[in-house]
Amino acid sequence: MRHPILEGVSIAPVEEERVEVGDRVDPDVPWITIVWNDPVNLMSYVTYVFESYFGYAREKAEKLMLDVHTKGRAVVSTGPREKMEIDTEALQGYGLWATFQKDV
Amino acid sequence: MAHGFKRSARERRVVARLDETERTIVVGLMEQVLDLIHPPVQPLAQPEGDTGAGSRDPFEEIVAGLGDVDTSVPAGPDAPDLADVPDTPEELGGRGFGVPAPRDPALDRLFPTADRQDEQAAAEFRRLTEPGLRSRKADNLRLSVTALRGAHRDRVELSEGEASAMLVALTDVRLVLGERLGLRSDEDAARIDELLDDLDRDDPVAYAIAVYDFLTWLQESLVHALSA
Repeated sequence: MRHPILEGVSIAPVEEERVEVGDRVDPDVPWITIVWNDPVNLMSYVTYVFESYFGYAREKAEKLMLDVHTKGRAVVSTGPREKMEIDTEALQGYGLWATFQKDV
Repeated sequence: MAHGFKRSARERRVVARLDETERTIVVGLMEQVLDLIHPPVQPLAQPEGDTGAGSRDPFEEIVAGLGDVDTSVPAGPDAPDLADVPDTPEELGGRGFGVPAPRDPALDRLFPTADRQDEQAAAEFRRLTEPGLRSRKADNLRLSVTALRGAHRDRVELSEGEASAMLVALTDVRLVLGERLGLRSDEDAARIDELLDDLDRDDPVAYAIAVYDFLTWLQESLVHALSA
C-alpha cells in the first residue's frame, strides 16, 4: 500500500522493480493444490489429514473430502506457487495424491 | 481376536490389542515397504545357495511386485466407460509423469507426480522433494515397527507421535498392497471383496486381500481414536 504523501519518492519494494519473465510471477493468477480421489485412502483419514495439516474445521475438512470422493478431486488450498509446492509435498507425505498447478 | 486402537484411560495414548501373528504380519509388511523406499545396499553377487526371489513365499512375492496377481475382470456392458471420467490423472500426466525411466509402479504411487501439466516442473519437484519424502516415510515405518515390537502381552501402546507415524505407515503399506492388487478405482476396491468370495482360501491373492482388509480395519480404528 502506498501513502499519498510519498508519491514520487521511490520506496517501492525491491520485487516491484525486478523484471521477471514467465507465468510464475503473475500475482493475479494464484496457484492451487489439488487432491485426487484414490481407492485406497480412507474417507476418515483424508478428513483427518485436512484437519491436522491445514487446521481446517471438521465441517470444511469433510466437505473437501466428499468433493474428492464424489467429484474425483478437490482444490484444497490456494496461494503463491511456493506455498502450493509445500502443501503438495506435505500431502504426499501423508500418502494423499496431491498435485499443484496454476489456477485457470 | 484383535482389538483396534482406542484412546486409553491414560491421557494422550492410544492402545490396541494385536496378537503375535497379527503383529508379525504388519511388521513384515512395513519392513518390505521400508526396503522398497530405502533399499538396503545389496551385495552384487548372490550368496551361494540363495535362489533369490524364488525362495520367497507367494505372499511376499505379491508385496514385492513379483507375484502373478490378476484381479481384473473383463469389462462387461455395465463397466463404467473410463472416457466419461473427466481429467483423471491418468489422462494427463500419469503418476510417473516426470520420472526419467519406468520404475516400480508402487513407487509412483508413494511419490506421485506433483505437476501433471509440465513434465520438466514435475521432474524438478520430484528431484527436490523425493529424498525428503522417502526419509520421512522410512522414519514413520521404523518408528511403527519399533512400537509393534515393543508390545507387552499383546498390548500395543502408542504415544501421540507414534500414533501419527503409524497412521502414515499404515497408509503407505496399504498403498503398496493396493497397487499390487491392482486397485486403481473405487470400483476395483469394491470388486476385490467380491473376488475374495470366489478365491480358494489357500490362494495367496485371497490372503493378500484379507491382509489388506485387516490393515484397513486397523487404520480406521486408529483414525477414529485420534479424531475422537
